[in-house]
Amino acid sequence: MKRMLKYTLKRLFIMVVTLWVIITLTFLLMISIPGSPFNTDQASNETVQANLEAHYNLDQPYYIQYLLYIKSIATFDFGPSIKQPNQTVNDLLSRGFPISFELGIITIALAVVSGILVGIIAALRHNGFLDYVTMGIAVLGISIPNFILATILIQQLAVNLEIFPTATWRSPAHMVLPVLALATGPMAIIARLTRSTMLEVLTQDYIKMAKAKGLSPWKIVFKHALRNALMPVVTIMGTLFAGILTGTFVIEQIFAIPGMGRYFVESINQRDYPVIMGTTVFYSAFLIMMLFIVDIVYGILDPRIKMHQKGGKSG
Amino acid sequence: MKGKKLLFFLMVIFTAFILAACTANEDAGEEPEKTDSSESEGAENAEETTPELDGKTLYINNGQEPTSFDPSIGFDEVSWGPLNNLMEGLTRLDENSEAAEGVAESWDISEDGLTYTFHLREDANWSNGDPVVAEDFVFAWKHMLNPDTASPAAFLAYYIEGAEAFNSGDGSAEDVNITAVDDKTLEVKLVQPTGFFLDLLTNPAFFPINHQVAEKTPDWHAEAETFVANGPFMLESWEHNSEMVFAKNPEYWDADAVNLDYVHFSMVNDTNTQYQMFQTGELDTASVPPEMSDELIDGDNVFIGEQGGLEFYRFNLTQEPFQNKNIRKAISYAINREEIAEYVVKQGVEPAFGFVSPGFTAPDGRDFREENGDLVEFDPELAQQLLEEGMQEEGYEELPPIVLTYSTSDLNQAVAETIQDMLSENLGVKVTLENQEWNVFAEAQQNLELQFSRSSFLNDYSDPVNFLESFTSDSYMNRTGFESEEYDELIEKGKSETDEEKRYEYLYEAERMLAEEMIATPIRYYNVAVLEADGVEGILRHPVGYFELKYADKTE
Repeated sequence: MKRMLKYTLKRLFIMVVTLWVIITLTFLLMISIPGSPFNTDQASNETVQANLEAHYNLDQPYYIQYLLYIKSIATFDFGPSIKQPNQTVNDLLSRGFPISFELGIITIALAVVSGILVGIIAALRHNGFLDYVTMGIAVLGISIPNFILATILIQQLAVNLEIFPTATWRSPAHMVLPVLALATGPMAIIARLTRSTMLEVLTQDYIKMAKAKGLSPWKIVFKHALRNALMPVVTIMGTLFAGILTGTFVIEQIFAIPGMGRYFVESINQRDYPVIMGTTVFYSAFLIMMLFIVDIVYGILDPRIKMHQKGGKSG
Repeated sequence: MKGKKLLFFLMVIFTAFILAACTANEDAGEEPEKTDSSESEGAENAEETTPELDGKTLYINNGQEPTSFDPSIGFDEVSWGPLNNLMEGLTRLDENSEAAEGVAESWDISEDGLTYTFHLREDANWSNGDPVVAEDFVFAWKHMLNPDTASPAAFLAYYIEGAEAFNSGDGSAEDVNITAVDDKTLEVKLVQPTGFFLDLLTNPAFFPINHQVAEKTPDWHAEAETFVANGPFMLESWEHNSEMVFAKNPEYWDADAVNLDYVHFSMVNDTNTQYQMFQTGELDTASVPPEMSDELIDGDNVFIGEQGGLEFYRFNLTQEPFQNKNIRKAISYAINREEIAEYVVKQGVEPAFGFVSPGFTAPDGRDFREENGDLVEFDPELAQQLLEEGMQEEGYEELPPIVLTYSTSDLNQAVAETIQDMLSENLGVKVTLENQEWNVFAEAQQNLELQFSRSSFLNDYSDPVNFLESFTSDSYMNRTGFESEEYDELIEKGKSETDEEKRYEYLYEAERMLAEEMIATPIRYYNVAVLEADGVEGILRHPVGYFELKYADKTE
């Protein structure tokens, strides 16, 4: 337990350092790209531009701006968005995150549960008809990018068949298409991975032993085989989280979902500096947390993995 | 064996799911064309998927969250479009897109054209019941001009005495010459006679702000609960980044003219998605997705209207070889604008043979564009000749390399490639293309780093001077390196001349000078191409200004 605590503290420290590096890099990148949040298609003049820059402290030297950012991050108050001055970045995050989180969690749940299930089925029917069918679909699922799948789903299920609403995020029915579009890729990856590790595990001696003892196939699969077969799946979960996270940027845009993915992309195009900072810090913190949790789960699933050996590896 | 059964069961469910998905696709593949009957079903279905509002409701798309509903701040289409329907200035654009009485029922203009006295309607009220008073305008305009507000639209008000000084921090609010004589009388003094001042006042930047509400709640415009409107509609609900509902404003003085009970705004940014929502009936209007322009543009449900704006390419006069007038002209003569409009941009746009777009009426009732005629044309032979002359003048054996820069977008790329082809074919000039991310591009153009670059302009108010003024020597919008005292003088007179006919003469001359000097070459005018569902009527889309739902109606 003590080792666990020490490990956790060490990881936390590394997380903070990682975040600081990300913040600083983001700031450097931000000031090095040309352009300004006040470039618009509209007519303008110098006085107006100067007033705007003064209003958002952009006329200050860079080190002052950097300190102001660090201060805003340390106090969790990112200030108002430049492009939507009525709203603070905190508003945007607290309104957008729950929606993005909902989308992400449902997607992950669907991808993991159905992916593992399909993988098991395919493994149990190795080289059978079902195996080929499911794996064929899985290959398709991996190859079709989610934004193309999204468009196909809308066209077929919403426009032609009128089963689901086209876009926006109002009711459970509105969630079906975006979740399907986003979950298919990860689901396919998990299915293929589960299948291959399952096949490997099923040929091992302890499974033969279990069969010989007369255990039911149900018990063999779910109690003995699956636990070992899941290890690789847990390993790639961190990457999948990141994938789903970036996937939400596109999916939210297509389905007009008021999550935070669109801020992440739009803020960069618009040079909305406080929003760029806010979303970057938030996303990085979230992703680092997720990787940390995955590592903990890893250790629980397989106690042979010594925690202290892994410190900082995936930070 | 129990486990095996369960697995079998799961497999059956999964197969059923897959099969269902496959059949769905097959069905769809057989019948990609929609029949009338399925369209009406779509509309019924859509009622279940769109939020139900009790009354006549128009469902439209705003693309994205408005920047701000503070009239001084939200200087863009996504803010001022909706705001134009929530509020009203002293004047308002009528059915003919001309400035007519709004909150002001009449006005007097002094003989020297400098002092405007507006008489406000007795029955003009805010949605909370307060009367709209002259002080609301004084408050709003000084709020816009206050440098601390950092209003991007403030320069529009520089025609008012003391405005520029206050905005640039040299003057004070007291010196801005706007006075509330009494509750219903407003007096404004201008720097110089400004023939289009009444037009300018239709712009949302000049909307009033309920000063009593704003003094108590500075953020009154940020949420539906605190928002006070004085226009045809009021803000019923506003779920940020998601949707807005406008309801008919019973306090509006002309409420009888308003037909709709509600307007529902979605915020769908993706052009394909919003078109699909239009197909299912979730939206009553949508823009035409560029990829579908050929299929849709001639259909019955398309509204095409003029929009005061120009796509053009700027020459940089500070870089070789564009310091030479004849070389600039040669490039211009080698571009076939009709082909670009018809086959590249499509969407029903018109090629531009002048700088000022059609739709500005001169004092004699004729259109500015017609009156000044075609100023540029396509003439490859003349282009060739001019190029030779120009090269001789500069002593070029070979033309210095030319780079054409545009901001990254599919359409800009298509137009740039076409121009590249035309220059190579008609002039034998090889042009290199370069694209930059929009913001990078804008900055480089501003700093005169680009040689030959794409530009666009959309009018803020309905007067030719709005565009022509861009090219005065000290204009922030110049971006060409062009400096001419003669031109500056023409524009100055084109702004301040009190005799409207003479004023237009100066503007005609200024435009001709732009073409003669060829500091930028026009490509095409902008237009509005919108899909409108059957039964949607009366949405006014002004060539300059923001859409108007006051007279809009929807019949089932």
